[in-house]
Amino acid sequence: MPGGTRDPRALCRSRAGFRLAGLLGCLFPLTGFAHEIRPAYLDVREQADGRLEVSWKVPTLAAAFGEQLPSLPAAAGQQYPVARSGEHEACGCPSLWARPRSSLAMPIHPVFPEHFKVLSPPRVEALEDSELWTWSFEPPVGGLDGAEFGAHGLDVATMDVLVHVVTADGRVVTRLLTPAVSSLTLTADQRVQLGGYLRLGIAHILLGVDHLLFVLGLLLIVPDRWMLLKTVTAFTVAHSLTLAVATLGYAEAPLEPLNVTIALSILFLGPEIVRFRRGETSLTIRHPWVVAFAFGLLHGFGFASGLRTLGLPAGEIPLALLLFNVGVEIGQVGFVLLVLGLVTSFRVLEVRWSRPARALPGFAVGSLGAFWFVQRLVIMASGWR
Amino acid sequence: MPVSLEGRCVSKRGDRLANRISRLGLVTTVLIGGCASTQAHLVNTGLGPFYDGVLHLVLSPDEMLGVAGMALLAGLGGAQFGRIALFTLPLAWLAGSMLGMTGRINLVFPAATGLALLIIGMLVAWDRALPPSMKPVIPAVFGLFMGLMNGAAATAGSLRMSGLIGVAATVFVLVALLAAFTVWLAGRPPWTRIVVRVAGSWIAAIGLLLTGWALR
Amino acid sequence: MGSLLFLAVIVGTLPAQAHVEGDMAGGLTAGLWHPISGLDHVLAMVAVGLWGAQLGKPAVWTLPVAFPLVMAFGAFMGLMGIGLPGVEIGIAVSGIALGAMVLAEAKPPLWFAAALVGLFAIFHGHAHGTELPEDASGVLYSIGFVTATGCLHGCGIAIGLVHRWPVGRIVLRAAGAVVATGGCLFLWRAVA
Repeated sequence: MPGGTRDPRALCRSRAGFRLAGLLGCLFPLTGFAHEIRPAYLDVREQADGRLEVSWKVPTLAAAFGEQLPSLPAAAGQQYPVARSGEHEACGCPSLWARPRSSLAMPIHPVFPEHFKVLSPPRVEALEDSELWTWSFEPPVGGLDGAEFGAHGLDVATMDVLVHVVTADGRVVTRLLTPAVSSLTLTADQRVQLGGYLRLGIAHILLGVDHLLFVLGLLLIVPDRWMLLKTVTAFTVAHSLTLAVATLGYAEAPLEPLNVTIALSILFLGPEIVRFRRGETSLTIRHPWVVAFAFGLLHGFGFASGLRTLGLPAGEIPLALLLFNVGVEIGQVGFVLLVLGLVTSFRVLEVRWSRPARALPGFAVGSLGAFWFVQRLVIMASGWR
Repeated sequence: MPVSLEGRCVSKRGDRLANRISRLGLVTTVLIGGCASTQAHLVNTGLGPFYDGVLHLVLSPDEMLGVAGMALLAGLGGAQFGRIALFTLPLAWLAGSMLGMTGRINLVFPAATGLALLIIGMLVAWDRALPPSMKPVIPAVFGLFMGLMNGAAATAGSLRMSGLIGVAATVFVLVALLAAFTVWLAGRPPWTRIVVRVAGSWIAAIGLLLTGWALR
Repeated sequence: MGSLLFLAVIVGTLPAQAHVEGDMAGGLTAGLWHPISGLDHVLAMVAVGLWGAQLGKPAVWTLPVAFPLVMAFGAFMGLMGIGLPGVEIGIAVSGIALGAMVLAEAKPPLWFAAALVGLFAIFHGHAHGTELPEDASGVLYSIGFVTATGCLHGCGIAIGLVHRWPVGRIVLRAAGAVVATGGCLFLWRAVA
């Protein structure tokens, strides 16, 4: 292969880079195109008179499988009546309400303290990919302090629940309930659990196939280690910058156009990789860190949207932000090290790939970028309609 | 025919074999990847079945030891054996686990893992040049065997197809890293080779203990 | 390293699976602890390493490769319930014999050294095999057990590296004397 290699020590010009990326490229689609992290959502708001307004938004199975199920419970926006009953949930807990027979909600349910008395029966609304239940409780005896909120069935459904409690005196408590920690007890001085933000950051980057693919694309056009360091640092600095700016509320990027431009940034790298392999040059190939910085700014807004799904603890935004960011960097550095390790391994093992296999990563980055670009463009356009 | 690669003729038989396997591996991965992507939507925040598969392997010390043993053996055999194992083992593992998941072939007997570890560890500790014809056979048989047990376990757990691909991908990564490391290590002064052999004897010892544990 | 970090990250991000490791960690600790909990075992293991270092090149490589296997074989016999007479005495004698070898700086042919060490390894392994806890996780216990034994061995070899200096030789022989004395004590306890 005469064109692709100029300097034998060059990292990703070494054929191994392409080989590896070929495989990674194949594996990426496996993780699905799902990017957003969608926990169920429990929102409890204490009113001035002590009533609790509760909303419970639970994804439906349709959302979980991403397919059009034969019969959706109800058309989007339609409501269906719910009656009180002595029925039981799938896990055996006494059910607050009879679940509508047609309901396809994930088999999880919230758990409230036993002394909570229901004031008004729930309204159930079928949304596109979830059900929204809203109801209210009578003012609980003794207030909210010491009350325990939980969720049941998380281990079976392997999902998380984001609990958001707003007290009448303005305290906000946000906590991600996981299969391991599936309840939250409110105390007078609520210590906000921040470890979840680190975890969320790592999860966000590991599931963010588009971000990883962009990093992979960058790795494929850096000629040496020094440039690799510069490029990765530039990307990190840029996305940390916009992540902070967006989370602290100084700037905002509308989600759908943002996703389109992120896809565009990946699409953009595809031709550059091909050009790099042919031994041609361009601004991007000479200064990959510039591109990494510029597009990193965009990706930072994307991370910010991921952070927003979790909500932020009042008063501790900087710390949560930092932890989330650190999580993202851990995931990213892990990915870069993995790629480098594999590239080195392939070189030591003298793996030789055939031409199409070597061309694959460039095409994978380019065509997936193009696919996402079109897909997200359609989503954006249908939103306008 | 993968005869001509990079404009040059590949003369060695083993290289040709390795190439054929690597090409087969790539094609299969693409095909399976294509099929699986349609059904592999993330259930929810559990990071999804792919990572569940990764984790399943990482948290199974016996399977990790098996992968490590195979990688050490391949690495001791040099880059060529390393290449063969790199593609054969994950593919055979995947095939085995798919077979195992169907539940038609039941190879699970208590001492199976222990015996597999014992044999692979002994081969590492023994450190003799293997006949070329055995080089694709050992990882293929070993991978099929481990995969079969893995597949049976996967059915018991809730790993699905993409989970199995996660397992196979992890096997691929681990073998690549460890076999390359071993190749590099075995090319150093002789005592580093001994380190690898000692590791092999540890794996064999663990396998023997496991066998006894299962049979008692 | 990359993969390690990657794996660590993944493991860290999935508390859903965390309950798996509860008793597994217990198995690992138990396995690690068992070989180092008895002084008779420890002395003999270290002595093997010391002797290997004294014996020099081929032995210092061969013994660590062969020893864990033979020991595991002994444990296997113990697990299968195959009886071995006089295990406690055998272990004590191993301390005396190995200590004496180190003390005398004996250099028998390799096959003899390997056979001697192998024979004693079976006794030690058997003792471990019969004393295994019932409910621990087999895999992790085995990993811990073999690792701990190997590390004791490595300690012996590392200490044995002082063999290259004249003073070190004397120290090694003194250490051999200590091991042999310990062996005598254990023999006394086993017989009496």
